[in-house]
Amino acid sequence: MAAVLVEGLSKRYGSTVGVDDVSFEVAQGEVFALLGPNGAGKTTAIEILEGFRSRDRGRVEVLGFDPADRGTLRLLRERMGVVLQELAVEPFLTVREVLARNAGYYPSPKDPDEVLTRVGLVEKARARVKTLSGGQQRRLDLGLGIVGNPELLFLDEPTTGFDPSARRDAWELVRHLTEGGVTVILTTHYMDEAEALADRVAVISQGRIVAQGTPDHLGGRDVGEARIRFRLPEGVDPGMLPVPTAASGGDGLEIRTDHEIGVLRRLTTWSEEEGVPLVGLTVERLTLEDVYLRLTGYRSGEGTPGGDGPSGGHGTGQREGRSGR
Amino acid sequence: MTDTAGRASATGDRRPKALGSGADLRADLRMVGRQLGYEQLAFWRNPIGAVFTVGFSVVFLVLLASSAGHSRSAAIGNLEVVQYYVPGFTAYGVMSACFNLLAITLIIRRETGLLKRLRLSPLPTTAMVAAIFLNAMVISAVQVVLLLAIGRLGYGVHLPSDPGPLVVVLVVGALSFAALGVGVSTFIPNQEAAGPVISIVFFVLLFLSGLWYPLAPGSTLARISAWFPMRHMITATFASFDLRPGVSPWAWRDLGVIAIWGAGGAVVALRRFRWAPVRG
Repeated sequence: MAAVLVEGLSKRYGSTVGVDDVSFEVAQGEVFALLGPNGAGKTTAIEILEGFRSRDRGRVEVLGFDPADRGTLRLLRERMGVVLQELAVEPFLTVREVLARNAGYYPSPKDPDEVLTRVGLVEKARARVKTLSGGQQRRLDLGLGIVGNPELLFLDEPTTGFDPSARRDAWELVRHLTEGGVTVILTTHYMDEAEALADRVAVISQGRIVAQGTPDHLGGRDVGEARIRFRLPEGVDPGMLPVPTAASGGDGLEIRTDHEIGVLRRLTTWSEEEGVPLVGLTVERLTLEDVYLRLTGYRSGEGTPGGDGPSGGHGTGQREGRSGR
Repeated sequence: MTDTAGRASATGDRRPKALGSGADLRADLRMVGRQLGYEQLAFWRNPIGAVFTVGFSVVFLVLLASSAGHSRSAAIGNLEVVQYYVPGFTAYGVMSACFNLLAITLIIRRETGLLKRLRLSPLPTTAMVAAIFLNAMVISAVQVVLLLAIGRLGYGVHLPSDPGPLVVVLVVGALSFAALGVGVSTFIPNQEAAGPVISIVFFVLLFLSGLWYPLAPGSTLARISAWFPMRHMITATFASFDLRPGVSPWAWRDLGVIAIWGAGGAVVALRRFRWAPVRG
């Protein structure tokens, strides 16, 4: 049985589209990511599933309940956990008090002390929440998400604003906390987060799901175009190479092709015959980021000032040319 | 594992529950009591909340009563002004807990995501709201008891022989100012502004309303402040002490104005209230 079922879900705010004809299914025990840029409709979708927001159209079932049904909402909420973008924890209660208080809202909660151990806050049990560091507060926040012993956990951009090591810690914690069959629905605008945590990803853009699949298969990244890169050998003009190349920052060269075996054979044959080494030769499929940028309609010159991702620093010109594929 | 065992047993006896549905009423009341306990804990641990609410009313009553308490004022029928300050600060205690503190707390909780998080927990909304209101009332009651005790023991103030009118004023005032507090909280979009904006408005209105000294009836200040509920809360509380022969302890007109403001606040609150951060 699916833990979550969404069919033809639509929600508008006046003339603005929140989500438009969104459908997906999440199996029990699966970690499912809604990946998309800010304003794409991730939070709208997740808030409808949580029963926080109403929908205009479509069918939604969460753990067998319709979250729009006020009569059963409390039953649903007894079986789900939520971690929000905000670090929402009472500042003047102690860590253990907050966990014990929230545990009392649920019919069969986890033992607060067990949760303390799992989120690594045993030493902080008697500390006031306001004295915790940001990372510790997030750990507590995650602990509050699971203290009700949920079957389904919503994580709404759980690491937005974290530095890279804090994000890695948080991922580790999420993996650890969701061992044992908890279904997770997470929203994120980080490609690597979806790749690190999710069994399945749906890319959402302007309210619509534009691709769904496992992180490895998403958008056909396991077939189709590959990228071959190497450094321009000294004393060689790019025109002398057996295949056309594009510049890729400094003395780097890049080839994008659907037939990487053939291209590689020609390159390596040439290299051996000419006695010219191909320094820094790499072959890679599209990164999830490439797929994501293509799917969400990224155009060079707008949006984030690239350079923070593996492919962000170069080749944006080709990206625009390829966006029609 | 304890997890699976716990879950299985819980699934077995799951049945629809809504606040107030017969057999579950007692469990829900217990939940309100429990939530109120945590509200109290959080309040008394917050030095700013405790000092500015409870400490403020006590300290100012003592300062004013000690410095000028035994002078007499024509505005209150030539009584010693301490007889006015005790009801005045009793009214202040209720207003500060139910209006000022409640509004600021709600804004901070909304903007930090606490309200949304609680809304998404199984804690029934009615239980959460009841605990927040009851918390303000408990804080009010603590202040009322403290202020009356200080007034009686420290300054020999006459307490009302019939507590009825005083209780009615305090309850009507607490409910109305709580509704106003929720209503006002919907107009302040961020937590940094919450404390300063609400406190400034609150204290300016208190100043106009004669908290610091009795206003002569018909004076400009009295006429301006008559438009706002703070003035009526102070005069109704003062009347309920029944110190002036021939003046009824039941200040129905004042109570009416307070209740109208409260009803207005409730309408605004119901129409505009939101759980999620405004900037979200």
